[in-house]
Amino acid sequence: MQKTLSVKKDEKRQNSALYLALFIAIIVFISFVVNIFTDGMFLEAKNLQVIFSNSVYPTFIAWGFCFLFACGYTDLSVGGVVVLGSFASCAFGNLFGYPGVILGGLIVGTLLIFIDFVIFAYTRIPSWIASISLALIYEAIAIFLRINKFTKPHVDTELSKSFNAIGQLPINLVLLIVGFIIVYFVYNRTSVGLNIRAIGGNKEVSRSLGINILNTLLSVGLICGLLIGTSSVIQQSYNLKTFSMSGLTSLQLIFKPLAIALLAQIMQKWINIIVAVPFCSLIIYGVFNIMTFFGVPSGTLQDVFLGAFVIAFGIGGQRGVKEVVK
Amino acid sequence: MKKRTLKFHDVVPFITFIVIFLFFTIASYNPRNGTFRMLTPLNLNTILDQTMLTIVVACGSLFVVAQGSIDLSVGVNLALSGVIATWVAHATGIPFLLIPVALLVGLLVGIFNGIIVSRFKVSSFMLTLAMLIGMRGLVNFIQTKTHTQRIPEELVFLNTPVVKALIFFAIVIIMAYVFEFTKTGRYSRAIGENETAAMFVGIPVKRIKLLAFALSGLMAGAGAVFSLITVGSTSQQMGVFLEIRVIMAIFLGGVLVTGGSSAKFYKIFLGSFSIQIIINGLALINRSDSHISQSVQGILLLLMLLVSVIAEKRSRRTRDLSDSDSANKRRAGFRRAGR
Amino acid sequence: MKEPILEIRGLNKRFGPTHANKNIDFTLYQGEIRGLIGENGSGKSTLISQIAGVYSPDSGEMRIRGEKYCPQSPLDAYKQKISMVLQELGVVGNLPVGVNVFLGRTGQFTKNGVVSLKALNRAVAEQFEKWELPMPPLNSLTGNMMIETRKIVELARALSVDPDIILLDEITQSLSLNNRRKLYELLQKLKSMGRSVIIITHDVEELIEITDTITVLRDGEVVGNVVSANTTPDEVKRMMVGRDISGDYYRADKKAQYDDEVVLSVKNLTVAGELEDISFDVHAGEILGFCGLSDSGIHSVAKAVFGLSRASGGSVYLAAKDLYIKNPMQALINNVGYVPKDRDSEALMVNASVRENFALPSLGELTGPLGFVSPKNMKKLASEMVSKLSVKCEDIFQPVSSLSGGNKQKINLGRWLAKDLKLLILDCPTRGVDVGVKAYIYSLMKEAKKNKIAILLISDELTEIIGMADRLIVMKDGRMTKTISRDGDFTEQAVIEVMI
Repeated sequence: MQKTLSVKKDEKRQNSALYLALFIAIIVFISFVVNIFTDGMFLEAKNLQVIFSNSVYPTFIAWGFCFLFACGYTDLSVGGVVVLGSFASCAFGNLFGYPGVILGGLIVGTLLIFIDFVIFAYTRIPSWIASISLALIYEAIAIFLRINKFTKPHVDTELSKSFNAIGQLPINLVLLIVGFIIVYFVYNRTSVGLNIRAIGGNKEVSRSLGINILNTLLSVGLICGLLIGTSSVIQQSYNLKTFSMSGLTSLQLIFKPLAIALLAQIMQKWINIIVAVPFCSLIIYGVFNIMTFFGVPSGTLQDVFLGAFVIAFGIGGQRGVKEVVK
Repeated sequence: MKKRTLKFHDVVPFITFIVIFLFFTIASYNPRNGTFRMLTPLNLNTILDQTMLTIVVACGSLFVVAQGSIDLSVGVNLALSGVIATWVAHATGIPFLLIPVALLVGLLVGIFNGIIVSRFKVSSFMLTLAMLIGMRGLVNFIQTKTHTQRIPEELVFLNTPVVKALIFFAIVIIMAYVFEFTKTGRYSRAIGENETAAMFVGIPVKRIKLLAFALSGLMAGAGAVFSLITVGSTSQQMGVFLEIRVIMAIFLGGVLVTGGSSAKFYKIFLGSFSIQIIINGLALINRSDSHISQSVQGILLLLMLLVSVIAEKRSRRTRDLSDSDSANKRRAGFRRAGR
Repeated sequence: MKEPILEIRGLNKRFGPTHANKNIDFTLYQGEIRGLIGENGSGKSTLISQIAGVYSPDSGEMRIRGEKYCPQSPLDAYKQKISMVLQELGVVGNLPVGVNVFLGRTGQFTKNGVVSLKALNRAVAEQFEKWELPMPPLNSLTGNMMIETRKIVELARALSVDPDIILLDEITQSLSLNNRRKLYELLQKLKSMGRSVIIITHDVEELIEITDTITVLRDGEVVGNVVSANTTPDEVKRMMVGRDISGDYYRADKKAQYDDEVVLSVKNLTVAGELEDISFDVHAGEILGFCGLSDSGIHSVAKAVFGLSRASGGSVYLAAKDLYIKNPMQALINNVGYVPKDRDSEALMVNASVRENFALPSLGELTGPLGFVSPKNMKKLASEMVSKLSVKCEDIFQPVSSLSGGNKQKINLGRWLAKDLKLLILDCPTRGVDVGVKAYIYSLMKEAKKNKIAILLISDELTEIIGMADRLIVMKDGRMTKTISRDGDFTEQAVIEVMI
């Protein structure tokens, strides 16, 4: 008997480039349509620049989520880590200039995410809830640093304007391209990347084929950490200011990236997830930009849409799942 | 084999509660007048008020947690129900409409959660987190239009200890009855124990899941009424952080993350008092800065989860020793892998 | 004679009360193709899994090329140039074919930190060509592929380590006819290269045709080794079944006995990819047996009848209650019981107490006014069943996880007998329990039969079905191939003829 699980879908994957082209064409078309409705303001260079610059740092976080999804873990403390990474980037940046901006965010971000994964790997607490408690702790540290006037009152949270280049064109574009190339290769073309995806797919087979589960998990921590760290640096440089958040509001920071990554996951069937992320990022930020044009208030109603997107994309990604889901 | 009347994860919460209570009572000692600030009638009253709210909301969430899922939207659901209900009460001029509207809104949100989780297989934490963000946005939006609203004057009389206690006990007794003594409660625990087995026995898993989220939502609505009566008005801070307080209460009480038969009704009392004493105690000893309170909660949550994982490992070890069909189990393990 | 490559002496493996391998002695020579055959539960998969390092033996010794060999994991086996295609392992669905073949060994294609997929795919293609296997598209995800293709990928993975010994557990049954031929050629090629093969299959004729020697196992013991060229299928089958089927725990009568009343009537039931066109009636007081190989669809019949799978065609009509079963909730309410095959993961709440487990299917009956489920009644039910079935437990509040497999099975089955059943579906009810409990379960079935309950007995143990059933249906590839009545030619030989 032929126990067909599902029909082969080779042809679809072969035509990845075609699908990408089609996808971009659709985005461009819709943009022009929207442009008409916004009296040409949507496609103004300045507006496009804003959309792009806004979407760069979430793209890095979304890539981080791709690795998390791939190995079957969830880390909700990312928002808290971005806040702390940005603080570090800011504090060290004001002290040591650009090296401080870059290294501060990178080191703190990487370290904290790595700690998360050490906890996930060794305690075996379900990652989503362990990461909620970690998010609480990171948020608390952020509040503590601000209240305690890390260096001087208020200076620490506001990066000197001279360091804003990283978050602006053209440097952010360069970072995005370089980041894309590295992430694409790590995810698709390195042993580590392949092993990460293997343990997410089938832990037992992976173990029996000689993949070290613990090391692989820790390397996820490292890779994600670097991505989140980079993201904090760009975020801080772009926004110059970061506010500490309490009561899990730091989760708000990761919701757009989460929506991006979930959308990219749905498109995975046609386009490589790493390639899809930057485009999804533009779509999401584009959509919110359009909402602003149409007067949907940000922070309130826009969040409603954001939540709805996450749920909708989550449903889309779960189609056809048969196992028990808690 | 010796009697296993005392389980590891059943004992720890009692010890935790006693330690927390003693610690904060002693720490709140006021040398000037020789009293324990923790134990003054005024303070005990505050603790009770806050704990009652936590318990009411946890009553509903317990069903969800018993099934091994989680509802992180209760806090914001409470805020939404409260804000809408107050607005309706004012807009219609019928003050008592506040109560049914709050319950209804809470229930509807719960049913929505339940449908998505049971029909579309979205993981409950992902869904309710999205609800947390989305609905908070909605609440803030409504608040920008309505500003802070006081509850109708006609309802202020409800804010007396006797009335609140009556409502509270009515809710608790009904919910305890449903959880401990009806099919709904037992099926919920069965789903937490082994969802596949529940399905294979013929339990209406989807319906029970939906029902659990609906109850959780309904109790968030009831919580909204409670909190409105106590506070007297809506506010930006309504329900903020409540979801964490509620899941902390449930876990601190000794319910495992996987739910199942570790979920018992009395545990939410134990856990709710524990968490409230921590929050209150930290405030009393001048550590009310949100960062301390929050990090204490974060660390506690991690510790409780660790206990939960250890407890599960212990029970699995006893299972290993007695299992005859380990080939079977091994295969089950393969299937479990990758989750 | 050639050099022995693998020697096993006095190997023992127990799973609880089940003695899966008893004092196995086994010698494999270089360039030998060895077949392993035996009934389900005879220990052949256990043996091969120990060679592969999936389990470690309780006692005994394994030597490879004369050196001591105690693998802790399949990885150790690979190091000794032993590779495998086992039922339990598989491929990683979210990775492409090429990567799956060299998973865990992708390092060898890494240049400057980047895995060259080109080089990797080239190496994979070489493997497929070298062993003359049909090559699937290397960049496609294995998760989307048919089982056959996935098995071939696994085979390629096993061959890619250039093994001295390759273990193949029931691979032929997932292959189509022309791929089977390719496999046979492959075996000959391996043989000519001086490599050794151990292959398990249920198909006796096939086994005799493709192997040099055959080891027959029965009840965990090696019954004998035969040279394939000098044996007949009948001889091998005799050796497989050879155990005395006496066991007075089965039914003594040789006549089919049941009422005329039809309890359940299944018509043209089809479940996509699992079952095709299944029709049968089962009568009050009848035990209707289903037998076949493990992937023949017998287990799907149980699920489909209980309403657990979505039928793409046909109907399950519960005549006793005049309704069609469409979901498990209906089945439960209408006095149908189902004992699943996988006790721990599909049936029991292992961390919950004996009481909870006993009461679970009866909660509907125990519910009083206001939805009240009285703990007292639950306790009464559980205590009665515990003493009736003599479940060995401390008290009814003990967690089920601490009970033995046999006692767990008593709960799994017994909780349905606490209800007033019309139909009971048993899927491998005696799996992994010792002889005592087995006999007891049969006596329960006889009692249920006397009480006019209709029973569907699904089992991969032939002796059990022949011992208990009034009629039996043989299944193959998701279809019914033959129905035999107890009055007719009710022998294992007759069944095996059509089963394989």
